[in-house]
Amino acid sequence: MKYLLLLNNDRRDWDAWRELSTEEAQAAREEELPKWNELWPWLEQQGIHADGLELGDPAKARVIQVRDGETIVSDGPFAETKEQLGGYFVAECKDLDQAIEFAQRVPVAKKGSVEIRPLVTQ
Amino acid sequence: MKVLALIYGAEGRWDSFTEEQRNEVYEQYRAFGRQAGDKISDGAELAGTRSATTVRVRDGETTVTDGPFAETKEALGGFYLLECKDLDEAAELAAQIPGAATGAIELRAAAQ
Repeated sequence: MKYLLLLNNDRRDWDAWRELSTEEAQAAREEELPKWNELWPWLEQQGIHADGLELGDPAKARVIQVRDGETIVSDGPFAETKEQLGGYFVAECKDLDQAIEFAQRVPVAKKGSVEIRPLVTQ
Repeated sequence: MKVLALIYGAEGRWDSFTEEQRNEVYEQYRAFGRQAGDKISDGAELAGTRSATTVRVRDGETTVTDGPFAETKEALGGFYLLECKDLDEAAELAAQIPGAATGAIELRAAAQ
C-alpha cells in the first residue's frame, strides 16, 4: 500500500525560522540533520523506498481558484491552521502499522505532526 | 523549480457522486495530465480523510489519532508535483487542474 506522509510543522516554528539570519538558519539545519540521518538507515533496513520533498515557507504559498472561468490567485496557505505543511514523503509500506512506525521516526512528529493518507491506486 | 500543487475540495461532494460522475472527473484529470505532459513529475489521489491517521510524539510517547491533523471544510484530496520555471508558470498550470474550478489548489515551492 502506498501512503502519503504529510509533515506538519508548528506555525510558531515557521514564525521563528523567519526571524533567523542565513547563518543562523544554516546552523539550525545542521543541528536537525543528525535526527534525519537516523531515519534513512531505518528505512533501508525495512526495505521502504520513500520519495520526499522539503517545502519552502507556507507564507509564500499561492492559492488558485477558478470560478465562472475567472482565475483567482491569492497569497498564503489555503487553510490558516496551527500547523503548516513543511514537506512530505510518498512511501510504499506493508500496512498502516508500518506507516505509523515510519511516521513516529520522522523528526517532525516530535514538534508538529505527521498525517498519514493512503493513496488511491487505480 | 519543483512546486507541490495540493488539491483541496469538499469531500461530501465527491461522496455524493455517482460512478458516472466520478468517471467524468477522472477523464478531466486524464486530459489535464496529457496537456501538462512532462511538467507533472508525480501525483496521486488520496483516499478520503476517514482513512487518515495522525501521529505525534511528545516526551517520547507516541499518540496516534484517527483523522486528519486539522478539520477543514475542504480537505486535501490529491496532489501533483510540478516541474515549472517559476511560480507564475505553476499558477497557470494549476488553473487547468479540474479541482481549481470546484475547490482550490495550493501551490508550495520546494525549499531552496
